[in-house]
Amino acid sequence: MFWIGKDVDVFLTQKEFIDTAIVPLAVMDGSPIGMKQSASAAEFLMSLTAFVEQQFKGRIMVTPPFTYTNSMPKKNFIEAIDDELKSAGFKYIFYMTSDHSWTSETPELTVLWLPSIPLGDMDQSVKQSVLSDQLRQVVPMLSAKWAGQ
Amino acid sequence: MSNNRVTRRQFLNYTLTGVGGFMAAGMLMPMVRFAVDPVLQKKEGGDFILTKQKISELTEVPVKVDFTFEQVDAWYKSNVTNTAWVYKEGEEVIALSPVCKHLGCTVNWEGDPEHKNQFFCPCHAGRYEKNGDNIKGTPPLGPLDEFEVKEKDGLLMIGNTRANTLV
Ligand code: FES
Repeated sequence: MFWIGKDVDVFLTQKEFIDTAIVPLAVMDGSPIGMKQSASAAEFLMSLTAFVEQQFKGRIMVTPPFTYTNSMPKKNFIEAIDDELKSAGFKYIFYMTSDHSWTSETPELTVLWLPSIPLGDMDQSVKQSVLSDQLRQVVPMLSAKWAGQ
Repeated sequence: MSNNRVTRRQFLNYTLTGVGGFMAAGMLMPMVRFAVDPVLQKKEGGDFILTKQKISELTEVPVKVDFTFEQVDAWYKSNVTNTAWVYKEGEEVIALSPVCKHLGCTVNWEGDPEHKNQFFCPCHAGRYEKNGDNIKGTPPLGPLDEFEVKEKDGLLMIGNTRANTLV
């Protein structure tokens, strides 16, 4: 499911099945050297989360991305988002990102970190196989949580 | 003075009607476009899409076949890749939609090692027979949809989905 009206209607009646939220975390860097990197990381992240959504539509809701700059107190923001999603009824909340800083900063949250791969110049079928490979990294982490590891 | 000379009043009338007409058209055209657009859009997905799958290489074991088409969403165009599970039943080619009839996850052939010869949905353990029939006692309430198929130069073409005709 996506965070859109139609899917939320389904969520509200099927909460016991749609029990997982994925929040993409995307850093925005406007500096001359960082901009391209941050843009292509965001592009990768959005493609990957959309692909995960396609595979797990009936169990996962992908929220709009949380976008931040490195000067923002992002940790506080994300804690507020976590509380909000918990109160919405999500049992499992995953944060997906290519920004390495999250892995050390928020040990209490489930952060799935994936190094970004520039998809920009790939043709559709190559892109598709890159995304399936990445999905294969993600699925075991989801299953482990779902199985209550 | 002849009768068909245009008076000042007539002249103004004509001009204003003309201008008004343009303005009305300017307002109406987008509305008509909006009304007609959804119809046009359906058409785009309605055509058969050529895949890279050779018909001769299909067997009775379902394989995943990807196919990509362009989707226009308002002003945003994107390439969407969908999948089908395709196998042969005698000489007939069967292509099933991988979209689970429970809440829409993507099902996999033999996705659960405990259930050979079945499609498996990883979300809530829904299961289907090879022909797409949902297995009672698992969450899905209906069989998997089927794609229309065609052949072109030995390659598989995939069309619209329709209700399963095999169960
Ligand atoms: S979405 Fe497939 S079993 Fe629930």
